Amino acid sequence: MPLFGKKKPSFEGGGLVLFLDVHDAMHAEKVLKAADYAVKLVAPPPELRRGCDLAVEINLVEQPGIERVLHEKDVPFVSVSPIKPGTSGILEIVKVTDFGDWLMVKAANMKLSFEKKSGIIVNTSGGGCPDIPYLHAEMIGKRLDEAPRPRDLGFTLCALMLDRALDESLALWRGGIKT
Amino acid sequence: MMLIAGTIPSKALPLTTGKAVIDGDSLMVNGHRIPCTQGTSAMVSAALQTTEYLKVEAPQVLLVGDTGKGNGSRQMYEYLIENVQKLTPEVLALHYCLPDMALTRRLCEAVKKCAKRPFMIADAASMYAAKAAGLAPEFDIFTPDATEMAFLADREATHPAYIARHLFDIDVKQTPKLVATAYQYKNAAKLLLVKGATDYIVRNGEILATVSEPDVPMLEPIGGTGDTITGMVSAFVHAGLEPHEAAIIAARANRTAGKLAQATPATRVWQIIHQFPAVFKENLCQWSGVCINP
Repeated sequence: MPLFGKKKPSFEGGGLVLFLDVHDAMHAEKVLKAADYAVKLVAPPPELRRGCDLAVEINLVEQPGIERVLHEKDVPFVSVSPIKPGTSGILEIVKVTDFGDWLMVKAANMKLSFEKKSGIIVNTSGGGCPDIPYLHAEMIGKRLDEAPRPRDLGFTLCALMLDRALDESLALWRGGIKT
Repeated sequence: MMLIAGTIPSKALPLTTGKAVIDGDSLMVNGHRIPCTQGTSAMVSAALQTTEYLKVEAPQVLLVGDTGKGNGSRQMYEYLIENVQKLTPEVLALHYCLPDMALTRRLCEAVKKCAKRPFMIADAASMYAAKAAGLAPEFDIFTPDATEMAFLADREATHPAYIARHLFDIDVKQTPKLVATAYQYKNAAKLLLVKGATDYIVRNGEILATVSEPDVPMLEPIGGTGDTITGMVSAFVHAGLEPHEAAIIAARANRTAGKLAQATPATRVWQIIHQFPAVFKENLCQWSGVCINP
């Protein structure tokens, strides 16, 4: 039996924030830790390297909240990327389902439904992150153009996808809904 | 004992464990009123309706407030890691939380040390974390919807926002193909209940049953109608049904409740949940052979 087993990782983030400059990476780590995010400085794999040899590993699910903190604190970064090579880019497309008086717009795992005539959000569904039930309560009953933005209130990729659904819903409603 | 663990969209709810009771359109746990909306509260409410009807022990719940920052989720994981061997749940159902691969791995390690391994069910982001960490085979049941099934079939994605476009685009009729791919990559639990226009019940890659009636497409926009299925599955397993039977009955009951509630996209999930006792009374004996005397 080996004396030293393989050390179990205490943090498995799945995402990397990439920087042009080592100083920015170190600054970002400090800023994100102060904002209570679990992060660590790592060397990015060669295929993801964009400028410097240092990146910040993050829980990829927290990408929107982390990007918001870095923007607020003026920490420049190049991009956020999944660590696993071969992972697709973030989903950009949506699907629309017509339910007569209502329309449902789906972006990845998130769905937003609104009444066509009034633009009132009647439901949100899908997802699994903790900000989603919170956004559900905050958005339902509000008109599309008056509802809070998931990208402002939320922290996770589920919230980002709900924001995509809201964007598309707004475009359809303002455009008189032709699907 | 069945234990349901998940987050609640509250900035104030501390880590709370105990029994929940339904009070109108809310849940009450240790004096805390929790609205029955999308998420863990819908799951708990559906499980409660089921255990109450079956006259079996109500679930123990482990709830914590978390609106997305993840602090509550981490408390929940740490509590489970520390206490799961002491709690010895027969069924452990994990639900909404900030997905954390390392904590899920530690939880699975802790579960392995239980005198009797709990029956492990995961939905929502608990399922995302299990898949992303390569731990899906450690779970007994996952309850993905169609997009989440595509996520399980994507070898690399750690969240459904990053699934490959061709998998997102795939026709729902191709669900069996996604199922096969998910099992090939070991990204599926032993049993899958895939929720969609047709629900698929799959065991170790083999499709055992499909449920497509009654057809109530307006359930899909209603937040929480997937959570209710997971709650019922958990409760039926806890009551002693075979997992695939539990899945089939839960899928049927959810659809039937949607029909009874005359669901529209504007329906609230508690309106569906309130139909479950009538659905069970009318159908459960015929569906499952579980006949309850009033």
